[in-house]
Amino acid sequence: MPQISGFAFPNDVHVWWSLMIVMYPYITGFVAGAFIVTSLFHLFGRAELRPVARLAMATSFSFLLVASLPLQLHLGHPERGPLVLVTPHFTSAMAGFGMLYGGYLLILALEVWFVWRREIVDRARRSRGAARAFYATLALGTYDTSPEALAVDHRAIAVLAGIGLPGACMLHGYVGFIFGAIKANPWWSTPLMPIIFLVSAAVSGIALLLVLYQVVSKLRGRPADQPCVSSLARWLWLFLILTLSLELLEILVMAYERSDSWLIISELITTRLELSYVTVQMIVGGLIPMILLAVVVLMNRYLHPRVRNTLSTAAALLCLLQVFSMRWNIVIGGQLLSKSLRGLRSHYEPELFGREGVLMALALVLAPFAILWIFDRVLGIDPPGQADGEPEAHAAAAPGGAAATGPGLGDVHP
Amino acid sequence: MEHARHVFRAALVVLVLLAGVGITRGFLVPPTYGLHGPYRWANVAEQMSARTPAHRGPAACGTCHEDELRRRAAGAHRAVSCEICHGPLLAHVAADGRVTAPQVDRSPALCARCHRKVLGRPAAFPQVVLEEHVDGPLDAGACLACHDPHAPTP
Repeated sequence: MPQISGFAFPNDVHVWWSLMIVMYPYITGFVAGAFIVTSLFHLFGRAELRPVARLAMATSFSFLLVASLPLQLHLGHPERGPLVLVTPHFTSAMAGFGMLYGGYLLILALEVWFVWRREIVDRARRSRGAARAFYATLALGTYDTSPEALAVDHRAIAVLAGIGLPGACMLHGYVGFIFGAIKANPWWSTPLMPIIFLVSAAVSGIALLLVLYQVVSKLRGRPADQPCVSSLARWLWLFLILTLSLELLEILVMAYERSDSWLIISELITTRLELSYVTVQMIVGGLIPMILLAVVVLMNRYLHPRVRNTLSTAAALLCLLQVFSMRWNIVIGGQLLSKSLRGLRSHYEPELFGREGVLMALALVLAPFAILWIFDRVLGIDPPGQADGEPEAHAAAAPGGAAATGPGLGDVHP
Repeated sequence: MEHARHVFRAALVVLVLLAGVGITRGFLVPPTYGLHGPYRWANVAEQMSARTPAHRGPAACGTCHEDELRRRAAGAHRAVSCEICHGPLLAHVAADGRVTAPQVDRSPALCARCHRKVLGRPAAFPQVVLEEHVDGPLDAGACLACHDPHAPTP
């Protein structure tokens, strides 16, 4: 039984939204964050991000495929996942998520198809038997890879990326809205919530790609492209600063206003969430990586690649911890305080096994990487010209200079 | 346009998908959903037919107790339903027509629910401080010794 301090209503002592509801925004955040990285290359011409552009798109796609699973595990009704997609309406917040999720899934699947179409066609031409039938079906029966057809692909990718970026932002901003619109809970009910969710999604997506890129480079046996690492570290620093500022400002406003709810929120932060909020979210996951990234960004030219890789990867891992603890503190923290605003329940401890347990959460985080591995086996994630392990030629990949490494669709700029 | 054939095929796949969603939605969403709000309207009638109402209102009581109904309608308790004191009709007359004696609530607590002196009530409404108003113990029937609940007078 939970221990209660102060006065709590009898129906306020249960944590109904479990670890799975923490995983839901965490996984959805990777979708939006990874797509922001790929958009920086495809839409905003950040050529130094070319080595991770395809990886980012594939990562966004892989995480999107499992993004609704935490909700289905929490509900215990797997049929409701597809149902929310095929029965759109405007009378519930989750139905709104279903529409945004379905629409974004469609746009991202189309974009992935256009970006990888040349590889699909090449593999269809090279394969025999069932593999050929599979790739031919994926290619929709058209094998046109003429320069004119590729130019059409380029235009389609630009249009889809232009729609996909607001789509990704809306998708994750909407997750924040679901919490921010619960007016009975002062820990959730703030218009800042969608913005904080969105910016922290960018942090988690960029941090994940930084780590993933280092791992992939190790696995491929080639050095990580340093301008790419520097750029990712710089963007991560920016979004981490924005996230921490917004999270701190939200608390500062509440504290300065001395609103009714501050009495209980200040107690929540300093007692129940002292470790997960103050220590992990703000210091270990916030302040320390901000300092590490500041070193990477401000002393970039003096850093040895190994030091830069180590510092940025360590900072990225801490950022991943920061975003997870932020999701935890929002979802679980909001359920520790009673709607009386005068009482708190004791900590929530997730089960190890079971449908909503820790092992299931780990499986959910690992599942997108399994999908990513399959994606790599089926279509190949490396940018064109690097699939056979040759060194990356980032410098040649400036906008308009992609031809130096082959006119692959991963090099597309609008 | 010759080199955009694959785009048209992709668009066709998207259209087929959207049509699939539309058709599936047609099968999945109940016909009366959303008719009067975000719920299935047919469920209202289903729930009503699935349960036998316990309370039937004064008119149903009047089919057997016409005199009491007429006296009540002429008195100050005309807005008070019979079943408030006599209990639900279903406990008195079962669905198969079997009649049992109703459990009548004669407690002063029931009368006090409306007539206890409360500052917030309109001054013209008859209300008393029960302990001062009743000379004797507040047992069941203490109020009914002086007041006829079917046609109460001050």
